[in-house]
Amino acid sequence: MSEASSETTLISCRDLTKIYKMGQSEVRALDGVNLDIMKGEFVAIIGSSGSGKSTLMNMLGALDQPTTGHVTINGEDIGAMKSKALAAFRNTTIGFIFQQFQLLPKKSALKNVALPLQYRKPKVKDAAQQAANALALVGLADRAGHRPTELSGGQQQRVAIARALAGSPKVLLADEPTGALDSKTSTDIMALMQDLNAKGITIIVITHEHEVAAYAQRVIEFKDGRIISNKRNEGVAA
Amino acid sequence: MNVLSTLGLAASSLIERPLRSILTSLGIIIGVASVYAMMSLGEVAKRQIEESLNSISTRTMQVWPDRNRGRSSQTRPTMPFTESDIIEMRAINGVYAATGTLTGRSYTIATDLSDLTGNFLGVDPDQLKASGNEVKLGENISYADVETRRPVVVVSEGIQQRLFDGQNPLGQIIKVNNVTFTIKGVVTKAESNISFGNDDLFVWAPITVARERVIGGNRFIQNHVSNIRVVGGLGQNLDSIEKEIDILLRRSRDLKVGAPPDYRIFSSRGWQEQAASTTKSLSFLLAAMGSISLLVGGVGVMNIMLVSVTERTREIGLRMALGAKKSNIMIQFLTEALLLCILSGFIGIAIGYFASTLAMKAIKIEPFFSPYVAFVSFGSAWIIGVVFGFLPARRAASLNPIEALRHE
Repeated sequence: MSEASSETTLISCRDLTKIYKMGQSEVRALDGVNLDIMKGEFVAIIGSSGSGKSTLMNMLGALDQPTTGHVTINGEDIGAMKSKALAAFRNTTIGFIFQQFQLLPKKSALKNVALPLQYRKPKVKDAAQQAANALALVGLADRAGHRPTELSGGQQQRVAIARALAGSPKVLLADEPTGALDSKTSTDIMALMQDLNAKGITIIVITHEHEVAAYAQRVIEFKDGRIISNKRNEGVAA
Repeated sequence: MNVLSTLGLAASSLIERPLRSILTSLGIIIGVASVYAMMSLGEVAKRQIEESLNSISTRTMQVWPDRNRGRSSQTRPTMPFTESDIIEMRAINGVYAATGTLTGRSYTIATDLSDLTGNFLGVDPDQLKASGNEVKLGENISYADVETRRPVVVVSEGIQQRLFDGQNPLGQIIKVNNVTFTIKGVVTKAESNISFGNDDLFVWAPITVARERVIGGNRFIQNHVSNIRVVGGLGQNLDSIEKEIDILLRRSRDLKVGAPPDYRIFSSRGWQEQAASTTKSLSFLLAAMGSISLLVGGVGVMNIMLVSVTERTREIGLRMALGAKKSNIMIQFLTEALLLCILSGFIGIAIGYFASTLAMKAIKIEPFFSPYVAFVSFGSAWIIGVVFGFLPARRAASLNPIEALRHE
């Protein structure tokens, strides 16, 4: 990834705070986070369980809104949006990749990939073609008609990546993408992510594994809702 | 998402869980089928009652003199009605026919070859109209026959069968109490549920001839008739006609105000109307029974849809994460419930039609398809779908996508 093309800020968090009320007590899941992610970057957000990384992912994915502060993605303030606008925003801007793949078991790989296009407005005319292209991009063009149960774990995660790509989002948001995979398959998936990043796609990976974070260009570490380190990855894994 | 893709999505959800869909729809199918069957049976009963309420016999009032009412307890001869009474009754608004009859006892009716005992009546031409009978052969008694006292008769089909072996009797001679008449017509008796004297051996003669030559004697003089039959027009208010008859008779018979009438007006209307209202409540009861089974089916739909929402929580979370709005999710689940109910509605109507046809055949009624009943039962399937699909759909739409995605 060249430095020149990643100068525009895609995501910016300012004084981001998220407070959950648990009965009488308050839990500060995010505590004054400031963060910028450039277009075309491959960023890993790392931290142990309860560090606030999942909460951050929900914000970055427009699934949740901050208690105070601002999250701006692609120039739009997430905190100011209504539920309807958030849904449309997720559809066009975010591509989700989940730990458990979250594929619909009764639908073919192609239909799973086309799922986000169902909710796109205006209606996508060549949704099937677009989904097929996305499947080809992850190397599964020949598995379009297979159901998830007929695919290996690695293949299922590739289908999920294709689904995230199908709607041409601004950013791929991967939550523990290798959490359910063996180490060999994990390596393949992370290599695929690197390939996609090389094609100009912004990727954010949330993980608790340093091996996974090693594939990113930048690693941001969280603890107790705060960033404790934010540094470029000198020896990017390959 | 447009209508077609929403429908497609709902259809594929139902197809993906075939056993569950079939079992759920079973409740609605049985419900709609019973609503249809019960309602169409109710409709049959209603139609039959309406038919009989509109029949001539139900619209007929018979007016008879009453022997012992009036001035004293001692028996006095009944006071007959007159032809002018009939003319006045015919003029009452809403009256379809009014006719006077001179009723004789049983008479010997004979040809040269055989004889039998039958009813002999003196009538005017309106008799045919008032009885709902039809001329099968020849013609009816005319006013000219009455005026000129022509010795002609119209006989019933029963007479034709018994005295003439079913052969054409027109122009033949018969004797009633040794008075000779020429047959000028044969009438078919109208089908009726209620008849005043259902014997089919009748001979009708012009009232003048009957009075002067056969029945008359000392009892009837000049223009007297023994009873009057008044038929109301279709849809006319029979009660008000009856009231006018009452007023008219009190005047012509010179009754004082408050004096009890020396005549009686009979009609079968009262119990017919009673039957109609009983039928109405019966149909209502039948429809209510059908509705209860439909309601139970609806609760089944809601139950299964709620289970389905719980089972598919992660799918809902995923769809929301991928850009589905709350309304998309709501519509998706509502469409599933509705589609299930509509398809079940079609099948239910088919089964209900089949069942009610069998039932109608069993009670020997011409089976029919009632679009109204089909519409109501189909409409109720829609309503069940919307009403019982709403709660599960709302629950699905109100899920939090973050929690839904984590659902185990």
